[in-house]
Amino acid sequence: METLQQMGAGFGVAFTPENLLFVFIGVLAGTVIGILPGLGPMSAIALMIPIAFGMDPTTAIIMLAGVYYGAIFGGSTSSILLNAPGVAGTVATSFDGYPMARKGAAGKALAIAAIASFTGGTIGVVLLMLIAPALSSFAVSFGPADYFALMVLGLTAVVTLGGRNITKGLIAAVVGVMVSLVGIDSQTATLRFTFGMPELYEGVKFLIVALGLFALAEVFSMLARRGAGGADGAMTSLRLNRRDLGRIAGPTGRGSILGFFTGVLPGAGATVASFLSYSMEKRIAKDGDTFGSGNPKGVAAPEAGNNAAAVGSFVPMLTLGVPGSGTTAILLGALLVLGVTPGPMMLSDRPEMFWGLVASMYVGNIVLLVLNLPLIPLFAKVLKTPRAVLIPLVVVFCVVGVYGLSFSVFDLWLLLGFGVVGYLMRQNGFPAAPMILGLILGSMMERSMRQALQISYGDWTTFVTSPYSAALLGLTAIVLVWPLVKRLRSGPKAPAAGASPDGAQKEEDTASTP
Amino acid sequence: MFRARPVAVAAALASLALAATACGTGGGQQEDGGPWKPDRPIELIAPAATGGGWDTLARTSGRVLEEGGLVDEPVQVVNKPGGGGSIGWAYVAQTPDTPTRLFVTSPPISLVPLMGGSTYDHEDFTPIARLATEYMVYLVPKDSPIESWGDMVDRLEEDPRQVSIAGGSSPGSMDHVALAGAVEAAGIDPTAINYVPFDGGGEAMTQAVGGHVDAVVTGASEAAGLVESGDLRPLAVSGAERASTLPDTPTLQEEGVDFTYDIWRGVMGPPDMTDEQVAYYEDLFTDMTEEESWKKQTKALGWTDSYMGSEEFGGFLDQSSTDSAEILMKIGLIEDEEGR
Repeated sequence: METLQQMGAGFGVAFTPENLLFVFIGVLAGTVIGILPGLGPMSAIALMIPIAFGMDPTTAIIMLAGVYYGAIFGGSTSSILLNAPGVAGTVATSFDGYPMARKGAAGKALAIAAIASFTGGTIGVVLLMLIAPALSSFAVSFGPADYFALMVLGLTAVVTLGGRNITKGLIAAVVGVMVSLVGIDSQTATLRFTFGMPELYEGVKFLIVALGLFALAEVFSMLARRGAGGADGAMTSLRLNRRDLGRIAGPTGRGSILGFFTGVLPGAGATVASFLSYSMEKRIAKDGDTFGSGNPKGVAAPEAGNNAAAVGSFVPMLTLGVPGSGTTAILLGALLVLGVTPGPMMLSDRPEMFWGLVASMYVGNIVLLVLNLPLIPLFAKVLKTPRAVLIPLVVVFCVVGVYGLSFSVFDLWLLLGFGVVGYLMRQNGFPAAPMILGLILGSMMERSMRQALQISYGDWTTFVTSPYSAALLGLTAIVLVWPLVKRLRSGPKAPAAGASPDGAQKEEDTASTP
Repeated sequence: MFRARPVAVAAALASLALAATACGTGGGQQEDGGPWKPDRPIELIAPAATGGGWDTLARTSGRVLEEGGLVDEPVQVVNKPGGGGSIGWAYVAQTPDTPTRLFVTSPPISLVPLMGGSTYDHEDFTPIARLATEYMVYLVPKDSPIESWGDMVDRLEEDPRQVSIAGGSSPGSMDHVALAGAVEAAGIDPTAINYVPFDGGGEAMTQAVGGHVDAVVTGASEAAGLVESGDLRPLAVSGAERASTLPDTPTLQEEGVDFTYDIWRGVMGPPDMTDEQVAYYEDLFTDMTEEESWKKQTKALGWTDSYMGSEEFGGFLDQSSTDSAEILMKIGLIEDEEGR
């Protein structure tokens, strides 16, 4: 009841003409920046801080937050159309979004992304409103051992992302983990695999690898095909029918909830959330084997996940005063400059700000949907652009995006390098997605494991004495063993019934473990 | 219409990027004798990405300088991230003839080179002014059995394994040095402490609030929110005086430990600046720290004024660098004062 009352007051704050205007400006700027590959919400927010300075702090945070979730919302557009992720959180969207676009269903894919984003964002805000105060205890409940277990569970997605050839998928994932280790080791301050180049001290930036492996590699493939790939098929209807909506309802709902809670954990963020949502859906969907070749569920799940996570990452910032992601770290810095200390006292000291922000997110999400849906036919037409124009454009976007991150020419060479690697991987049947997954999760997994062991003085039981960690590792075991069990159950019947008593024995053993 | 827009935006961004990096070759020397003045925009380098401490310092300074009308030329903040600062430092060190290119700095300018992360150290630059400082704070979770700094020292003495202490950065960085220096001064072997590095002070504090580690060391202003809410209990601050944000927390010296640690912030310039150039900037930054808006900003950020001019700042840098080297040697991270 009290929450409702405060929410009412929050809408009062959000609906002042000034705040409505700035939430609109924020999400508009965010979507545009999100659509352009490589330009992330981080630099956008940093650029807008001077504008925010001198504003009422509530209005400022409403606008800056709008930039953030607006960018995640818009980021799917270039993932789907060009295979060039607009922001890191939308890499997973391209796995099925881009194949859909190539099959002529670009409009449909964009519409699904917009609806899933909207739903994810809105479910996130509802959860934020209802349980934010309680969530702060959830956000701190994850220790290093638990993060390690979460990352291990995430890595099992390699099996689902790897396509037909699991060996090649695993090789790609290991390479991804290796790339994630480059730089100053945070646990010992030792330089690893930097070859004396200061540009590598802080590691290889995720976006460079993603743009190289996906966008540039695609450009190279297009060039190699010399247009022999032909037209991308007829444009199908942009409208989603009731059946389409029914198909994506489940993935969207599950992705939203999983994404939100992943976002709440400091450090996990929208990218991890989108991968977790994607691989969960692929595993539980009846048509899971069509993921990766243009299944609408594969667009809905990560999009719902990353938008819900963007909202979830406000929980640690607003309730604890600690950033949950790189972008919220910048937001936090901006708030400090504006004279507001976000943290546990914010809810009681400045309720109008907290609830005003939450209410503005409802508004922002609606604005985003209204803003993006009518533009879809326009966006979809980008695919009708002749290759001769499209290819240079994609290259320009990638280069500008990467250069804008650090103003470093070195990074451009890295981009080119990963583009070539991505092309060679494609030619030889190595999937890129597991490599990206290894890159995202690898360093965090390693760091968490070493932190956990440092705290426990080398005692490995720390990974099973923490309930979260034990549960997550148990889940990992089930995920890995289940396909074997399924195969053993159905397998022996066909070729030689009763010929393998060993197999039957094993089946019983594994089945009893969970 | 659609096709035209992204191109235009991209072009605009590209030209912005070019403008940001292209300006500032050649000097601002004046041949006509009078006092030196910059004849081109002042570049203020933040050797880190947007959003961090250096970026905040650079942008705050730039804004106060421009809004206060203290400069005739605009002040441009340029981010040169990478290598824990070393990319930005190398950039400035390699342009000795550009006195309009300054950078904001803090203790990593001594620590990173000592740990082998940069070929340039503070001696390769011209000190201009120290502007503000902040202290470290040592905290425990609210329901921790550790009651005071002395209590924690007793427990560490008994068995260092009893207390795991989180910090927001890797071994050999500010958090670790501030911790090791303090326990060493309290008579405990700093190599035996269980320091657990996390990615940033926020993450380290979260782990302490959740009870995953026994204590945490971080910047005083960063911890103010969680102290106010009662989630974390401060044991001591590392300053010579109590911190304005934590007035009830004793200093280490009050707790009988002869150790102080400053997270100072300042401005340095390229090597070989002339006396006139240094004098111009000294005056400029003195004026800046007297501006009302500067005072308001630094207070919000939890920084204390601690202005030092070029010469004094240079001496301070030498001293704090020697002190840091000594602590790093005692932890066993480096072998001699030259670093590793």
